[in-house]
Amino acid sequence: MIFNRIALAITFSPNGLPLLKSAVRLKKLFGCELYLIHVGEKSSDQEEKINDLVKQVGLSDTSYKLIWKKGEPSKSIINAVTENQIDLLIAGALEKETVIKYYLGSVARTLMRESPSSVLILTHPEPEPKEFKKFCVSVDFNELGETAVKKSYQFAKLEHAEEFVLIKEFEVPGLAITVYDSGSTSDTEKSKHEWQKEEEEKLKFFAKEMNLVGLNYSTVALFGKQGWEARNFVKNNGSDLFVVPSPPKKLKFFDKLFQHDIEFILSQLPCSLLIIRN
Amino acid sequence: MSLSPTDITIFLLSISVILFFARGFGELLRYLKQPIVIGEIIAGIILGPTILGTIFPETFNSLFNQSEEVVIALNGITLLGVVMLLLISGIEIDLSLVLRQSKVAVIISMLGIIFPFGVGFFSAYFFPQYLGLTDYNMRLVYALFVGTALSITALPVVARTLMDLQIFKSEIGYLIMAAAMFNDLIGWIIFSVVLGMIGQNSEHPLSLSSLILTIIGFILFVLLFVRKFINYSIPFIQRRFTFPGGVLNFIFILGFLGAAFTEYIGVHAIFGVFIVGIAIGDSVHLKEETREIIYQFVTNIFAPLFFVSIGLRINFIENFDLVLVVVFLVLAFAGKVIGCSIGAYMGGMNKNDSLIIGFGMNSRGAMEIVLATLAFQYNLINEKVFVAIVIMALVTSISSAPIMNYFLKKAKTRLRFDMLLKNESVIFTKENSKYGVIKELCTYVANSKKLDLNVVYDEVIKREETISTGLGNHLAIPHARINIKEPIVAVAVQPEGIEWNSLDNLPAKLIILLLTPADKPEIQLKLLSDIAKKFNDVALIENIVSSKDSKELISKVKQL
Repeated sequence: MIFNRIALAITFSPNGLPLLKSAVRLKKLFGCELYLIHVGEKSSDQEEKINDLVKQVGLSDTSYKLIWKKGEPSKSIINAVTENQIDLLIAGALEKETVIKYYLGSVARTLMRESPSSVLILTHPEPEPKEFKKFCVSVDFNELGETAVKKSYQFAKLEHAEEFVLIKEFEVPGLAITVYDSGSTSDTEKSKHEWQKEEEEKLKFFAKEMNLVGLNYSTVALFGKQGWEARNFVKNNGSDLFVVPSPPKKLKFFDKLFQHDIEFILSQLPCSLLIIRN
Repeated sequence: MSLSPTDITIFLLSISVILFFARGFGELLRYLKQPIVIGEIIAGIILGPTILGTIFPETFNSLFNQSEEVVIALNGITLLGVVMLLLISGIEIDLSLVLRQSKVAVIISMLGIIFPFGVGFFSAYFFPQYLGLTDYNMRLVYALFVGTALSITALPVVARTLMDLQIFKSEIGYLIMAAAMFNDLIGWIIFSVVLGMIGQNSEHPLSLSSLILTIIGFILFVLLFVRKFINYSIPFIQRRFTFPGGVLNFIFILGFLGAAFTEYIGVHAIFGVFIVGIAIGDSVHLKEETREIIYQFVTNIFAPLFFVSIGLRINFIENFDLVLVVVFLVLAFAGKVIGCSIGAYMGGMNKNDSLIIGFGMNSRGAMEIVLATLAFQYNLINEKVFVAIVIMALVTSISSAPIMNYFLKKAKTRLRFDMLLKNESVIFTKENSKYGVIKELCTYVANSKKLDLNVVYDEVIKREETISTGLGNHLAIPHARINIKEPIVAVAVQPEGIEWNSLDNLPAKLIILLLTPADKPEIQLKLLSDIAKKFNDVALIENIVSSKDSKELISKVKQL
């Protein structure tokens, strides 16, 4: 099973209904349990509204579980995720936020960074949810990276995706500095070329070891700043779901200041994003 | 005041002579596989009072001491050289790399600063007589300077060394680079404070506390606001102005402004330009080719002028003080190597790797010389100390690569297939089934490495049954990830060939069993791609398979 228990942070915003529809679609696709988390005072008025939403998407009372939480939204949602052992949290988000909001952290960004579960961020939840057709997966050569590829490949197969691209970014910090002392530009070019080949080769072996059968896939190795290159590739490629393994450590304010890796992606989402955590 | 036609002639002539000698000796040193910067310094010593000034004093004087105007013009241009050198040093600092690297990098660089700094500071503070202090009022500042001088690591030399040793793109390479970058940053901040303390009698004296506050304020302002501004500006400039001219100008304008500011507050110009450089280098929009253009231009034209000028100022033979040189060398090696190695060891690396990092971080190179030159200009150190520090910088830089290489040979982390191969791990087999050969290889490995044969065999077979490991060209690489710490390799040769379900239907004659740590997938990928890259040809594998014994086979493999 890809995910056993998914949850949606439910709101009454214009995107509320489309998001709920997407969540219901995924529940059916994965064949898993669905939790709805709502942050706010539990009143008959609110209950009415939620019931209304749920009816619109045709969910029966027994097919979901509603959780009420009070307090600061992102913290409350994260608590609910932990308490109920949710393994995928779904939320909507803007592709880009204002500078101030970015530094202070909106609810959606905080969830992406801090939720203990995997997180699926939908940038354009449509009134009638569609399948994801073009998958891009950022690869890390570690155990979490393997999990991310396995899960997203199963996901892509369920969706009958048309495209499944594995991306490996690699960076060689300080490369230009080697021309600084006795290096020549052609030497660095040559090394760059060799490294590129080596990374491609490694990525191919990686894919082979994963035993991906049933859906065609392609591999791309990208040289450049990590996070940034992949983000641009995904954007230009017109993918509709970008899967990344979560970074090994918790991102702090300092990381937003000196962006690296996933922060480049979070600050400007190229498309819907699935962050895989263990 | 203007230069007379004679002055201009001499000025241009001396610059040509400097560049000519710098290139000549630089290339010679490159040929000897040593940093070019060393050649440039040697060129200066030869052109300066040490050699040319002693043998042909008249030629020396007419070239470099003709008139005050020419000397001022030359000083101006060497100042430009060093400012630009620090600009590119800043550009190369990648703060996010430091953030991303595990805490090991931070531990290494912190200990790599604190330890040598402590060694230098306390030796200079308590035994100033051995370290060439002349003015006892300056004891504290002097001790701070010696501490800083010992804690500097030269990023360019480190980068070059890693590149030459082919470990630039490897875990240990990243780690050393991250640690060296962080080290550079902290080192220059400390030094800027020391310079500010010496510069108390400058035209715009600030009290020490307000000086430190100004420095911190400047760093924060540049790294928070100017950095963002640059990141937004560069794409705009690249779109609207000529490329790369527009960006180049933009970079130098900002750099010089930063330099002017720090010079104004009494800290040397190079500090400002260095910090601005960091802000510039951080931009994702700065293209690799722009970087390289700046580097080429600065390191081939302006930096040599600066490095040669060092030798022009001082007689290295007259001011050579053996005791001082030895003291500085011992302190430099002890402080840096011990500090960084302990840091790496504490960070969980093994002894050998820790030493590689320790010696890797030991090279001082150009940065140390910049530091010494400034201290000399501010009269903090005398000629003898200056010479000792320059020699220390040269020795640490030259020795770095060979010593690292020595430990690298022992390091398994280098992860090349041929280095894992040993005489006894090559089996000439008569087995003619896939399972038979795998069993034979596993039995050998299990016995020699004291592993459970059943576990090893089951894992390899499990892997074999998902997709065949026959790579074609008579090569098969059965492999598995098991619970071990270091990769293990064993090779079986079967000249008649075994059916292995390869894509090209050729039977496997060379069978390489590859076992790697379960928790490190990358090691497996690296070795697999290394093997696939090396054995990419049927004739080559036939040739290897035809070896008489394991010795011959290994020597053939090593030549690939």
